Amino acid sequence: MDIVVCIKQVPETNEIGWDPKTGTLIREGAGGILNRNDKNALEAALQLREQHGGLITALSMGPAQADEALREALSMGIDKAILLCDSVFAGADTLSTAYALSLAINKIMRFDLILCGKETSDGMTAQVAPQIAEFLHLPQLTGATEIAIENKLVRIKQRLEYGFRIVEAFFPAVITVERGINQPRIPPMDSIMEAYRDKEVQVWGAGDLGGDSARYGLKGSPTQSRNIYTKQVRKGKVTILEGEPDEIARNLIQLLKQKDLL
Amino acid sequence: MDFTLSGESKMMVKAARDFAEREIEPIIPRIEEEDALPDDILQKFAKARMLGMMIPKEYGGIGSTALNVILVLEELAKTGSAAAFLVAFCNSVAETVYQWGSEDIRKRFVPPLCDGSSYPAMAFTEPGTGSDPTAITTTATPDEDYYILNGTKRFISHGHGKGYGVFYANDETGRITAFVADKSSEGYTCSKPWALMGLAGQGLVDVFLKDVKVPKENILGEKGKGFHILLRWIAGERIQQMAFMVGMGQECLNESLKFAKERMVRGRPVTAMQGFQWMLAEMHASIEACRWWTYRVASKQDEGDDIQVDSAALKLFVVPTIQEVARKALQIHGSYGYCKDYKIERLYRTIAHAGITASSTELQKTIVGSALARSKES
Repeated sequence: MDIVVCIKQVPETNEIGWDPKTGTLIREGAGGILNRNDKNALEAALQLREQHGGLITALSMGPAQADEALREALSMGIDKAILLCDSVFAGADTLSTAYALSLAINKIMRFDLILCGKETSDGMTAQVAPQIAEFLHLPQLTGATEIAIENKLVRIKQRLEYGFRIVEAFFPAVITVERGINQPRIPPMDSIMEAYRDKEVQVWGAGDLGGDSARYGLKGSPTQSRNIYTKQVRKGKVTILEGEPDEIARNLIQLLKQKDLL
Repeated sequence: MDFTLSGESKMMVKAARDFAEREIEPIIPRIEEEDALPDDILQKFAKARMLGMMIPKEYGGIGSTALNVILVLEELAKTGSAAAFLVAFCNSVAETVYQWGSEDIRKRFVPPLCDGSSYPAMAFTEPGTGSDPTAITTTATPDEDYYILNGTKRFISHGHGKGYGVFYANDETGRITAFVADKSSEGYTCSKPWALMGLAGQGLVDVFLKDVKVPKENILGEKGKGFHILLRWIAGERIQQMAFMVGMGQECLNESLKFAKERMVRGRPVTAMQGFQWMLAEMHASIEACRWWTYRVASKQDEGDDIQVDSAALKLFVVPTIQEVARKALQIHGSYGYCKDYKIERLYRTIAHAGITASSTELQKTIVGSALARSKES
């Protein structure tokens, strides 16, 4: 069973700036880490490989420094790593990103499952994986907290707002995983050395993917940020309600109603 | 001169940090209470491939560098726990056995020190001596294919743990010879661990050798050259110990910053006060100086340079510098820092060990001073 895991390098909190003209994140030069939720996807893929065998390819799109995220994936035990890196990809929104990733996945050809983290900590849209599924015309199983394989069928336990449901699909399929699905392994030291010394991160540009160049990067992104600003936090006035619990509850409800909050 | 850490080194640091947070920090209260390390921790270190990092792959190691070992130890040291010290000890003892051992010794004793099946031990100190080779009283008497070891060794870390260790004794010529001995040998017994000021779980015991038979082929290095082997081991151990000091010093600063930013006086965090800022600045500058010098000496070790004097000078500088960092951290915490609820209390106690163990700070002055006196440069 062969798996492609889509991963992303995201900025470390508080170290990121915005481009005021494009409204996009300035990723170059910012400290980057492998998106935590993507580590869950990598771990899930590794566990599936331990049970069923196969090859795992990690795929990412980003600037050259995203090589670090792919090296981390390799050090966890992933077999192959591919970075989509080209200036024409810059400024891509989720649709444009998913377009490039889906072309790359088609080029990889060998896959039964595509695993992704549910969302990234920078964008938090949770859109890329479903969009990949649409581009590739594959079933999508989102929010997995468990994954089971039976012949050519994959079954997940999907987390819903008020419970769970079991969803299944035949191969090939796209799955997004929740943070709670597993605890990602810490790469052992020898594996880190192998990732940097013996393994390769292939770099593919737009020319390698083919596709419609008008759909890449900022130019191919229908999402346009009109304004970026930091939320102003104003200090509020604190009111401490006193009295018996019943009395406090009644007064609280009264206050909330006065402020049109109930 | 390139001061940039490689991607590989940075990833190792990150992995060591994650390991420390996941596997060591949660068990520290238990280690402190029981004054013992949990049985499975050595295996966890082995699985993370942190043991015998500089040992070639064919002998069970991963063939890494002294600098990478230092970086990993620095991260683990932020826990201030003896669990982290065990990693340094496994590395340095495995390196010594590998460096001086015959092919037979390398094959038999190095892999167990890398795969977590053997606790290390390095037994030189005795009740009557810490660093003086002339005062050693443990004897090694030849008897057919064996040497018979008799004597008492003091303050032997993990002397009671399963596996192998290096033991130093006066041979029949009156010179010190190093032997690799099995700690389960007949006649090998230990005291209960000494109760220490810090480093709970370090397992520092006295070892009693009564007619312990060691095969002659277990002599490490050349017969009669045991003290030379010990000095080489201590030189490498010193760098690793200083990496621990740097890690713990950094954690003192981290904890102090966290505390000071939250500690309010007259409506402002104390970090707004110049007095606190000065202490924090001095701590930061001190740690940076210690860190980069430690990296430098580790790099020299990787380059194959003799590090006897460099590592002694390093220890001479780092120990009092980081101990002063710990003192400032305690001052910043005020009375809270004197409470066991705060990490700084444990770090302060642990940092106190470094000027005493693996040869004292004063001895480093002698090593560096005598080397300067001998040097031809004026």
